[in-house]
Amino acid sequence: MTTPSQPKLTYQPALPISNGKLALWLFLSTEIMFFTGLIGTYLVLRFGAPEGTWPTPEEVHVAEWIGAVNTFVLLCSSVTIVMAFENAKQNVPAVAKKWLWATIAFGCVFLGIKAYEYASKYSHGIYPRSPRSLMYDRADLTFLNGVKLETSKLIKEALSAPSGTAVAGLDDSKVEGGVETGRSGITPVAFEQSHSTMTTAEQLQLIQTGLVKWTETKVGRTDDPVMQKLAIEALAYQVYPRAFPKQQADRIEAYFAAENAETKQRLLALSNQVDDRQNQLQTSQAELKKLQANAKTIEDGDEKKAVLAKLAEVKSSADGLTLETTRLTVERDFVAGRLKAMETFQAQGGDGINESHHLKLPMVIPSGNTWANTYFLLTGLHGIHVLIGLIVFACLLPMRLDAARSGLVENVGLYWHFVDIVWIFLFPLIYLF
Amino acid sequence: MHHSDHTSDTDASVHATKDRKPFFAIVFVMLLALTAMSFWVANSHLMENPTTGWAAMMAISTAKAMLVILFFMHLWWEKSWKYILTVPVTIIGVVLVLLLIPDIGNRFATYSKTRQTAAPEPYYDSQNSVPTNRPQFTE
Repeated sequence: MTTPSQPKLTYQPALPISNGKLALWLFLSTEIMFFTGLIGTYLVLRFGAPEGTWPTPEEVHVAEWIGAVNTFVLLCSSVTIVMAFENAKQNVPAVAKKWLWATIAFGCVFLGIKAYEYASKYSHGIYPRSPRSLMYDRADLTFLNGVKLETSKLIKEALSAPSGTAVAGLDDSKVEGGVETGRSGITPVAFEQSHSTMTTAEQLQLIQTGLVKWTETKVGRTDDPVMQKLAIEALAYQVYPRAFPKQQADRIEAYFAAENAETKQRLLALSNQVDDRQNQLQTSQAELKKLQANAKTIEDGDEKKAVLAKLAEVKSSADGLTLETTRLTVERDFVAGRLKAMETFQAQGGDGINESHHLKLPMVIPSGNTWANTYFLLTGLHGIHVLIGLIVFACLLPMRLDAARSGLVENVGLYWHFVDIVWIFLFPLIYLF
Repeated sequence: MHHSDHTSDTDASVHATKDRKPFFAIVFVMLLALTAMSFWVANSHLMENPTTGWAAMMAISTAKAMLVILFFMHLWWEKSWKYILTVPVTIIGVVLVLLLIPDIGNRFATYSKTRQTAAPEPYYDSQNSVPTNRPQFTE
């Protein structure tokens, strides 16, 4: 019986590549699927949004050229890392190290530009926020209420600000709970001061009464849903006109022009009415005084009775006039406040109250909230990949990048190229579509 | 077993006897040209029919991605193992996007009343009191 000789085993790698490279390619495969899912979801939300609602880049302060510059920067970094690998492979570690430094520099520039873009979004209020973002999908009552609450909040903050934001002359009661409780709701100071001398709180109060409350009243006084919608859209336009197509902007400008003319006439009529009532009131009060004096001198029963009856009649008429005068004065001040607000905020035109006054009032940007969520998710996850790449590059810096290490440089480079490829798709999707 | 010694190196480097640096420079210039091209498409008359513009830009992006994958990531020079890792993942990726399309279509075709009442609303684009480009709900 012969013992079969032990077969001689020969070991061969399954694939003709290093384990590290195989692992990296497997990792990249999962990454490809991850980003495909992410971009696929973006496409669903982007093209599933009601037609005509997805914000154009300029509506949400996205500059195409900045995206293009970042694309250029990332392409440069792809070339530099490939050069680092080539030099490492040819055993020129000093040159490889220089190319690695260049790659790190480009990566940092990319993240710097990204940070600048994020800061710009933040300063314009275009970001997800709890409990609710500042972007509204429609110009409706929810939006109107949102502006009202946000303005109240800002007024409170401005009033309680310890700094030099002068609050003297402001009646705190007028902003209680965001609804002015004062007689007319208009800060007297606001009428006399020009825009430049108004404090933040005064400007905000003017917004609250002249724009927000005015719109509320306008909506409340009509049953026509088209007019209600137009009034709220006009407010949305004043806050953030960027999201408006040209035709609709023109329509609202025309609406403002007509309304302004009407409001001026109404102010004139109301002022006359107030003067008229005040004159009547004076006459009636003079008569009242005379009657009162008369009543004291008369003692006879019947005559006294007649005078007292007359006295009661005149008194009741004077009371009625007082009420009427108050009502008209409130109305007059309200209308005057509207004109003042239009003059103050419309004159600056262009980019709306949020831009001209550095405010963050709720804006109507249809589908803007979904846009912001997907924008930050896509660019944020990509940015994290860039950051991780930079950290790995930093770990390579102390090493001698010779031929023995070229495999390592290649693997890190593969990851970096993948990050570049993701950006190659994100750039047109976010900046150009 | 000199094979195992070789695993730290790549088969790509086996073929890399000649200097690829000038070649990479050409690829880089092509990538820049393609980037400029998609920028041009975005601002050209192709965007009058957005679908055409979008398709053109995606085609350009795919071309750019192929340049990076084939040359910067050396797949062009790699042996056939590259197909094991790239083909399945590409199929899965493309199929995933294709599977999402019915959902995109459905969202336009059937607009539930609930969705319509809460959906973002475009600004009116004309004197019409009702926006013309918005899907209308029919009972």
